Amino acid sequence: MRGSGVAVTGWSAHLPELPSGVRLAGWDPGPACPPEDAATLLGRKGLLAKEPATRLALCAVHRALGRPARAGRRAPDTPPDPDTAVVVATNLGNCATVAAVATAVAADGVRAVSPLDAPNASSNVVSSTVAIWFGWGGPNLTVCSGHPAGLDAVALGMLLLAAGRARRAVVVGAEPADPVAAGLLDAAAPLRPVAACVLLERDGDLRLDPVDELTGPPPGEGDLLLAPAGLTAGAVDLTGAVGAGYGALGVLQVAVAAAVLAERGGSARIVCGDPDDGYRTTRLSRETG
Amino acid sequence: MALLAASAVRSCLGDGAATFDRLLAGESGVGPLRHVDPAAVNVTRAHHLPAPAGAAEPDLPASDWLAGCVTAALAAAGLDPATARVPVLVGTGLRELRAVERQAVSGRPVRAARLHFTGALRAAAPRLGPVLTVANACSASGHTLALAADLVDGGSADVVVAAGTDAMTASMLAMIGRVTEEPTERVRPFDADRTGVLLGEGAAAVVVVGEAWRGPVAARLLGVGLSCDAHHETAPSLAGISRAMTDALARARRSPAEVDVVVSHGTGTLLNDVTEAEAIQRVLVDAGGDPYVTGVKGALGHTSGASALMSLDVAIRCLRAGRVPPVVGLRRPLPEAKGLRLVTGAPVRCAARVAQVNSFGFGGVNAVTLVEAA
Repeated sequence: MRGSGVAVTGWSAHLPELPSGVRLAGWDPGPACPPEDAATLLGRKGLLAKEPATRLALCAVHRALGRPARAGRRAPDTPPDPDTAVVVATNLGNCATVAAVATAVAADGVRAVSPLDAPNASSNVVSSTVAIWFGWGGPNLTVCSGHPAGLDAVALGMLLLAAGRARRAVVVGAEPADPVAAGLLDAAAPLRPVAACVLLERDGDLRLDPVDELTGPPPGEGDLLLAPAGLTAGAVDLTGAVGAGYGALGVLQVAVAAAVLAERGGSARIVCGDPDDGYRTTRLSRETG
Repeated sequence: MALLAASAVRSCLGDGAATFDRLLAGESGVGPLRHVDPAAVNVTRAHHLPAPAGAAEPDLPASDWLAGCVTAALAAAGLDPATARVPVLVGTGLRELRAVERQAVSGRPVRAARLHFTGALRAAAPRLGPVLTVANACSASGHTLALAADLVDGGSADVVVAAGTDAMTASMLAMIGRVTEEPTERVRPFDADRTGVLLGEGAAAVVVVGEAWRGPVAARLLGVGLSCDAHHETAPSLAGISRAMTDALARARRSPAEVDVVVSHGTGTLLNDVTEAEAIQRVLVDAGGDPYVTGVKGALGHTSGASALMSLDVAIRCLRAGRVPPVVGLRRPLPEAKGLRLVTGAPVRCAARVAQVNSFGFGGVNAVTLVEAA
């Protein structure tokens, strides 16, 4: 799944349950509000009936853009920017709502359903909400391919740039932590709320290689190796600090690598996936001079 | 420019050939809603795939239909599903979320890995990969077709399968049922007396290849335009869907007057049909086009993530057969569509060269495809 290389020009990680002072490969992603307090970061209006995954994603994008606190949504009459695409990786985002609606309908029929949940019945609610909130009219994709979803979303963001469908791709990973999601995932690491965002553009000095399917051991080069535990020796496995991460992990890995390389230069090899869903890999490097 | 080597469909009316024949005959595959209590969701009818009377609800139906279509499309392209190492991009609206609902309501467990389609496709064709599941609502397979074309056109892959699949969920049925007083009896796209949408189900797949391909060719893929309304979670926007149509024409380097047939999104809902009719009027007709306009949802129901590629299969068959099926269920066109050449009642004959396929989804995600006779 290759496309020509692009640059990472912005990044964030929004990790409400990461203990204060815990660093990710040396980077401190900063304090993060829980999804129920998203209004403290985003502004009050427009969050009614928005699921935790949607709120987490909005917070991560807000921070990657460096917007001031409570900056709010775009003005409703502004035409959308057709040159910015949105690609969201999430698997579990709307599962709790779907389960709750099905339970309510089985017990009490359609009158038990809120019309505000209608968008949440569709699995692309996070990416469409990000587009509406920030006013982005470029292609809008939701990737739900399990563990590799994060790097799959990065790959599709790169593909949209290479195909001339956008000048900027906002790539987001977001997974909630709720009992329905935890029951579905059954992962070794506990599920915690996770969101991360990277901005991809053609020009910049943090260069991202095309994302490849990985069928053997990861290539050994690089000063920093971000990969799941047990796959290869010497890797930084972020799940110990942030929880399972699942579909958001690949985006978080790229964000962490970008933050680290922006400080110290060098290169990073990134691997995400699992034996059932397959593995993906890419490499981030900082051009010097 | 990419080519479409082969296409495969499983709809309530059968495979691609049977579906097209029955569309020409004006048939609808509507029947009683199965597996979900009609009274609970206020929906009584649906476009299900054929199944024996009283058959139990299948565990992972979208996965099964998808695997059947992908292997059929590969075989029709002359590729062996047992050995083909090909990326697959799967578009879906609802994934296997019905299994999440059954886990919640009846305790039947499901794992997260079964909600997407890597495992199901690898079981049917072990060397396929990477498999990406793109959940883009009712235009999902239009989006995966665009991405497959981009991979081929950009030289990243020689062969890519774009696919779509969907089964129904009780939660989506409830969202449809709660906005109507009386349950809808049938889908009437572009009809002044339309009463709303019904869900369909099934899958479709196409094999997208580059110019160097030496196998069979079903059609030329001129271009796929994408846009996002960034306007409203569930209501369409004229500006957004017009932009996808304009993008498709620009990518295809075709003028509006060259479009001979439009296979519309046509959901039989108030909001979609008026907005879509206005967009076709503005982008194509006002710019000198006069295409025949048809649509499949009166016959197939709204098949969500599969619908764009089901419509594409119909479009390809229109080009090859020189016949365009009628909009099943349409009797009295709505006033906003009076400038459109809607095909009603019986099929029309036309030597069409270029067909357009519209697909628009929840969240304002739009994909418009242009194909040309091979």
